[in-house]
Amino acid sequence: MSNAQIEIQLIASLVAIACAIPGTFLVLRKMALITDAISHSILPGIVIGFFITHDLSSPLLIIMAAASGVLTVVLVEFIQKTGLVKEDTAIGLVFPALFSIGIILIAKNANDVHLDIDAVLLGELAFAPFDRLILGGMDIGPKSLWIIGTILLITLGLLVTFFKELKVSTFDAGLASALGLSPVVMHYGLMTVSSITTVGAFDAVGAILVIALMIAPAATAYLLTNDLKKMLLLAILFGVGSAISGYWVAHGLDASISGSMTTVLGLLFLLVYLFAPNKGLFSVLYRQKRQRIEVSLLTFLLHLGNHSDDETERHVKHLNEHINWQKVKARSVLDLALKNNMIIIDNDIVFLTQKGKIFTSEAIDYIITNKNSEIENMKDRFFLFRG
Amino acid sequence: MENKIAVQIDDLTVAYNYKPVLWDIDLAIPEGVLMAIVGPNGAGKSTLIKSILDIINPIAGSVQIYGKPYKKQRSLVAYVPQKGSVDWDFPTTALDVVMMGTYGSLGWIKRPGQKEKKASLEALEKVGMLAFKNRQISQLSGGQQQRIFLARALVQNAAIYFMDEPFQGVDATTEKAIINILKELRKAGKTVIVVHHDLQTVPEYFDWVTFLNVKKIATGPVKDIFNDDNLTKTYGINYKVSVQQ
Amino acid sequence: MNLQEYIELVFTDYTLRTITLGTAVLGAICGMLGSFAVLRKQSLLGDAISHAALPGIAIAFLIIGTKNSSIFLLGALISGLIGTFWIRGITKNTHLKSDTALGLILSLFFGFGMLLLTYIQKMPNANQAGLESYLFGQAATLLESDVWLMVIVTSISLVILLLFWKELKILLFDADYTKTLGFNTRFLDILITSFIVIAIVLGLQTVGVVLMSAMLLAPAAAARQWTNSLSIMVILAAIFGALSGVVGTAISASHNNLSTGPVIVLVAGVFVLFSFIFSPGRGLLFREIRFRKNRNDLQLHKTLSFMYNIAKTHEDIAHPHTIKILNNFQGFTRKSLQKLEDKDYVTIQGNMWSMTKSGYHTAANLYDQLTKENNE
Repeated sequence: MSNAQIEIQLIASLVAIACAIPGTFLVLRKMALITDAISHSILPGIVIGFFITHDLSSPLLIIMAAASGVLTVVLVEFIQKTGLVKEDTAIGLVFPALFSIGIILIAKNANDVHLDIDAVLLGELAFAPFDRLILGGMDIGPKSLWIIGTILLITLGLLVTFFKELKVSTFDAGLASALGLSPVVMHYGLMTVSSITTVGAFDAVGAILVIALMIAPAATAYLLTNDLKKMLLLAILFGVGSAISGYWVAHGLDASISGSMTTVLGLLFLLVYLFAPNKGLFSVLYRQKRQRIEVSLLTFLLHLGNHSDDETERHVKHLNEHINWQKVKARSVLDLALKNNMIIIDNDIVFLTQKGKIFTSEAIDYIITNKNSEIENMKDRFFLFRG
Repeated sequence: MENKIAVQIDDLTVAYNYKPVLWDIDLAIPEGVLMAIVGPNGAGKSTLIKSILDIINPIAGSVQIYGKPYKKQRSLVAYVPQKGSVDWDFPTTALDVVMMGTYGSLGWIKRPGQKEKKASLEALEKVGMLAFKNRQISQLSGGQQQRIFLARALVQNAAIYFMDEPFQGVDATTEKAIINILKELRKAGKTVIVVHHDLQTVPEYFDWVTFLNVKKIATGPVKDIFNDDNLTKTYGINYKVSVQQ
Repeated sequence: MNLQEYIELVFTDYTLRTITLGTAVLGAICGMLGSFAVLRKQSLLGDAISHAALPGIAIAFLIIGTKNSSIFLLGALISGLIGTFWIRGITKNTHLKSDTALGLILSLFFGFGMLLLTYIQKMPNANQAGLESYLFGQAATLLESDVWLMVIVTSISLVILLLFWKELKILLFDADYTKTLGFNTRFLDILITSFIVIAIVLGLQTVGVVLMSAMLLAPAAAARQWTNSLSIMVILAAIFGALSGVVGTAISASHNNLSTGPVIVLVAGVFVLFSFIFSPGRGLLFREIRFRKNRNDLQLHKTLSFMYNIAKTHEDIAHPHTIKILNNFQGFTRKSLQKLEDKDYVTIQGNMWSMTKSGYHTAANLYDQLTKENNE
């Protein structure tokens, strides 16, 4: 590995970490799309900043761009408050307008601005190592490494300092304001950090990958855990992992680095989406199928209990004709009940066993008092075989 | 004098995400009653109506409207959803919303004509909203919006009316107006089924009541079964309502 | 070039005529179908779909190896639909919310598309030039056949809209109720969603992946402000969309280095801004005027009822009082007193005021009026 290659991977990894942290909170706060808006609408800020400084990595540029990111948030919220359109429409109106202004500014000044529209969308990670930061005649590394490193340090500092506050205000806004934590301050703080991170990352990886790096690792992690700390760690891990492997995919295909990083993120999400232990598609479908049979079983037992004095209602044939099972075969429900010793069948008439009676009456109590989790515990206690 | 059965529900079980919301409900609603469905929050009251109307698919059980499945008896049934379930900023007028009640009998593609318009205007008049026929629906008060919904159901000219919390967020005048219309419907031999929250008004408004909390607790004439015993069974706590009869 | 010359050019120049027609038709269909997207609260779905279409275009090119915009459209349509249904799958089967699902599909599909695009760029294939234009759109690449395709799709969707107008309208307003009436809401839902996806895909070549969603939303959002009728809203949105297309094309054609897509989006944005501010019913300007007027009336009424309470204490209602006592009352100003005098509610003599009969009467009725309004 050459020096430049190591530097590129280092920058990509730092960007991934810096994005994953605010991204986790945005996903949890259901504000993922605001990153879409910010990443597009900082473009005019960057262009105007560039006109003033003529230096793509000047701090003023970052401040201008971050300001236009925050402006987007304010503008979206203002339009939402007028009630003229729904909130999603407000987002959808603001960022294309600002992005268009940015593109037109670039196009009109193509001769002065060395900003390429492709670079806006995709970034120029491959060239990042060539733009060095020279301090006192000494080469101390690529400029973008310093920029994103600084942003990451600030983000980490804020995260550690305000972790408790962020956690409370994310999961319980009401409690947060009762504790004296202003939700407004938290909201705009997060928005500012997101804007600054977006700007810092924008230069390296482009507008679209910023969205992917903010949302995808956090969303993937959210499918694996509900614990905030674990979610943050996983999101960082996924971000860095796809940054490095994405780089090598791009190297192999001789294609865009940020494009392949996103693709790796996409494949990772697809894998987790399908196979995650509890929340993945397959396990959800499997659990649904099992629960469908188990709910039918509960219904069936309850029905037997309700009609303990009426033999016609408990005749095996009645199951098919009268109860009108949908989606579940009566036979499999009956088998499950028999296997678990909940019923006995005598002369085609179904009887509840003592165990079946206890199970049913406990289940009703739990359902009426809305203790759904207790039902799962109860199933563990009573069932020899699951559905 | 027991009448015909308007709605017959057998062994109905409904679950959201496979958590039971309604469990093995057997219920027969006689023709011509004005019935309240009462129960605590989350008891499955709206779900019961929605599964009768085939909006939600049950896991098991069957529903019959005058002896046939709902799909064959649509024209006999009218529905007033919860007011909060729609976007009142939708660009349309009061008369337009009421006209929607005629869409079912029109079927696919055919447009409402003069006949439908006349019926809608009559319904608007009945609920005292004729003066507001061209008003944008977002400019109506909560009570007026509820009256529009009622008018839409009236236009359906059905035999059975299902209403989901028609008194929520309406003013006293509207509440009186609505209950008068419901009583008129009952007099005309229609069956009216209402999800209701205010236990105090049950004896005054209704003649039939069903207590529901996931399971059916009790059903029957208000004067026979609307008592502290059933209320306690339904709401779990020791419930005392001064029942004025 | 002045306006007249430009209009002449539109009729004589083949390319310009094609582009103008194309963007106008595109604007119209987007406005029409966008109205439905906006009212269904699916505004950002358009953004996700347009981004999700990119890998489809790239894969279509990889398969056929030449530029062929109809095949590209097909590829875009397929991958757009896959994106749409995956979004639904994510929100249905996991606890991820719709905003996360939209953002995921949008960025992941687009990133994958960019990977393919950069990969294609490196291929020794001269035909690849056209692909880049799908990012920001290049109206100049529109051919007459593309315009014909747009016209045909627009006509079909117009016929569908007219046929199922009643059903779509009630579905948008109250889906559950629609189901109880016996309409197949699933069919209607798929119908309208598919046409929205088709409209988006059609616009990619002209407006581009990145800005396509605005083309869908902006005309509809502007039209909504001017009317309270769905049919007029759809027609207005179509007109706004078509105008944005024509004007945007004109502006970009008469300047160098201006790609059509962003200009059209900005023109549509101007329509929105204008509508937000100046629409008579909902616009911010008139709302502010009404608000101020109401506030002034309220201040006046407050002062009047304060004076009424003082005047009531005397048997003779016209008994003069000093103006000083009013100073304790918040909201009282010289100006409001002057206004009350103008309305002939009070008379002022030096430092004293006294109530007139009509003033007394109005004030007495104020309370009744207020309670009445509250009851409505």
